[in-house]
Amino acid sequence: MNRPPCLLVLGLSHRTAQVELRERLAFRAEETADALHRLLKATAANEAAILSTCNRVELYLSGAVDASELDARARGFLAEFHGLDGALRASLDGALFAHHEGEAARHLFEVASSIDSQILGETEIQAQTKEAYRLAAEHGAAGPVLRRLFERALALARQVRADGGIGRAQASVSSAAVQLARHLFEDLRGHRVLVLGTGEMARGIVRALKNGGVADVLVVSRTLERAEEFAKHEGGRCGKLEDLDAHLAAADIVLVSTAAPHYLLRVEHMERAHQARRGRPLFVIDIAVPRNVDPRIHELPDTFLYDIDDLEEVAEEGRRQREEVARRWAPRLRQEADALLHEWRDRAPDEAAKELLKLAEALRGTELERLRASGLRDPEALAQLERALERFQGRLLHGALAALKEATRAGDGATAAHWVQRIFRLGAGSGAHDAPAEAPPQQAAEPERNEAASDRKAHAAVPKSAS
Amino acid sequence: MGPEGFKLLAALFYLAGAILALAGLRWASAREGPWPHVLLGLGLTVHSVSIGVHCARSETHFFTSLHESLWLFSWALAIGYLVALLGWGMRSLGTLLLPLCVALLVVSMLSKEPGKAPPAGLASHPLFSVHVLSAILGYGLFLTACAVSLLYLLEQRLLKRKVFNALFRALPSLEKMERAETLCAWIGFVLFTVAVGTGATMAKSSGQTAWYFEPMVISTWITWLVFLFLVVGRASGRLAGRATARTILIGGALVVCTFLLRHPFREEHKTTGRAPEPAPAALLLNPAEGAP
Repeated sequence: MNRPPCLLVLGLSHRTAQVELRERLAFRAEETADALHRLLKATAANEAAILSTCNRVELYLSGAVDASELDARARGFLAEFHGLDGALRASLDGALFAHHEGEAARHLFEVASSIDSQILGETEIQAQTKEAYRLAAEHGAAGPVLRRLFERALALARQVRADGGIGRAQASVSSAAVQLARHLFEDLRGHRVLVLGTGEMARGIVRALKNGGVADVLVVSRTLERAEEFAKHEGGRCGKLEDLDAHLAAADIVLVSTAAPHYLLRVEHMERAHQARRGRPLFVIDIAVPRNVDPRIHELPDTFLYDIDDLEEVAEEGRRQREEVARRWAPRLRQEADALLHEWRDRAPDEAAKELLKLAEALRGTELERLRASGLRDPEALAQLERALERFQGRLLHGALAALKEATRAGDGATAAHWVQRIFRLGAGSGAHDAPAEAPPQQAAEPERNEAASDRKAHAAVPKSAS
Repeated sequence: MGPEGFKLLAALFYLAGAILALAGLRWASAREGPWPHVLLGLGLTVHSVSIGVHCARSETHFFTSLHESLWLFSWALAIGYLVALLGWGMRSLGTLLLPLCVALLVVSMLSKEPGKAPPAGLASHPLFSVHVLSAILGYGLFLTACAVSLLYLLEQRLLKRKVFNALFRALPSLEKMERAETLCAWIGFVLFTVAVGTGATMAKSSGQTAWYFEPMVISTWITWLVFLFLVVGRASGRLAGRATARTILIGGALVVCTFLLRHPFREEHKTTGRAPEPAPAALLLNPAEGAP
């Protein structure tokens, strides 16, 4: 195992597994703490985080363990935790993917930026990534490696969203309707939506419009009960079909979605309404099939009619834009991942030296405390003892620190750091994470290790980007 | 540096702003950041300095010739763009107004027609400078409203044809453009009314009421009436959407018509009675008239 700590991501996603398997492997929020502790114990990794969403389950691991060994242990953990065996275990192995080192970092960058999402550019994954790290840090499973990795991933996700325009392009029919409405109306807040019919798809568009700021929704249907139910559920009010002309005159957006096999809105309706509208633009969305709005109304001045195909075209254009952004950012994310990996390798000797000094100081402090507790009160004797321990510590560590320095100069700092960590049992893997829960608290060596572990917990703060 | 140097520098800033605005029609990232404001601010500052230096050095009077009129006119357009940019963040408007500013400045630099000295009586009139500045700024805002109206009609066309290209995505909403064109027309109308009022007062004091019926002056009056119709129509809610944009474009065409009557066709006022003095209506774009 002559190698520095490795980084591994093992998981499955909508690209590799069916929803049935993804459901089976999902980690519920309340079981995350237990899962993290069992994962660290099972894999002997230093650090771990679990990203579990409806589209993916991914384990992020960092540890001074051989990569293939870590991979095998993590696979075993997944199967064991979720109780998979036989055919399910075989299908799990077929669906899992694994990325190491720079590839693992690149993968997280793409996931957090929603480039790897099923709906490219969706917004939830950024918050889910942040939450995954927060939980890992809260339960003491994340250390400096994962902190830096997730910090960078979240920062890059923000850049991709802000700079690349990935979040601006609309990729669904509902959001396409909102986008088109925003080309007519600057602020949707002051505008009225008239909903004709109570189709399921209309609910999605009404919700999207309400999220966009619309407050005034008027629902009109041939069946009053349905209109009332729709209005109650989606937050609107009911109107009468007999007053359609008046409703059309007052509306800014008309959404039509009924099961009627004929045109409900005809040119005559719009011409009558047009008189009262005095040139105010009217946006008509007809998502019914067969269509419920006479297509000729699109030819009337200041009236814009869009059917389901038009909205789908806008959504498709949005998807194309997002793909373009993803292509543009892919090389940059790869570069960032490589840079991060180099940074870790360059920082490893420094980190090891700091950890080593910290451990020595903790040990010295504990021994002094023990002496005080045993009755040694003479301040002069205590001071002499402290100085002696300091000299001892300096002489003992001198060789290790000098070797780290020389190895860094020779370009082999990461390996040397790894050996120092192994020899002195530094790092999270030797701490509380893998300490068996049933270990007796009075064991002599445990206080130091637990102290170091609690110190690491303090270090594993939520990333700057997350706070 | 002389006024011509400052003018060239202003044209370069406007050109950079125009290129950035054109790039914004294609790439979303070009629509981010403060650069349109910075470039316009720099251009307008240098442009103002060039006008100030010219006024300070001029021995005759300011802005009597074609090149001087174009110089001041492009400055008014840049102010109109500044209003639209600060008020509504309408960066895409730069694609129309900034190239126009550059073109006017370039023609102004190439034109060598000397300015004529205005009669002493008119130049010393207390309303003269108010008349000139309000007229030029009013025209600048009218043409800004016209540019917004053009974008409005363009976006309407794209919405009607269901073309969802990069240009469509770069344009602001119809509602925002309607507000912008209306407010520009309103401010322009107030300034233009001041200009027409001061001009009429000066003409009356010169005893040249016959000028009111000359083609150039009639064009000015019609322009004023068109914008009056617009502001009343908007205020009463009887005018909206495409009709507003079209009315503004008619008004804008009349502005250009008045300018053409004065400059390329060099129409002069027919004087009657006592000693001729420059007609205020003629001063709307070319404020100071020479002695006949």
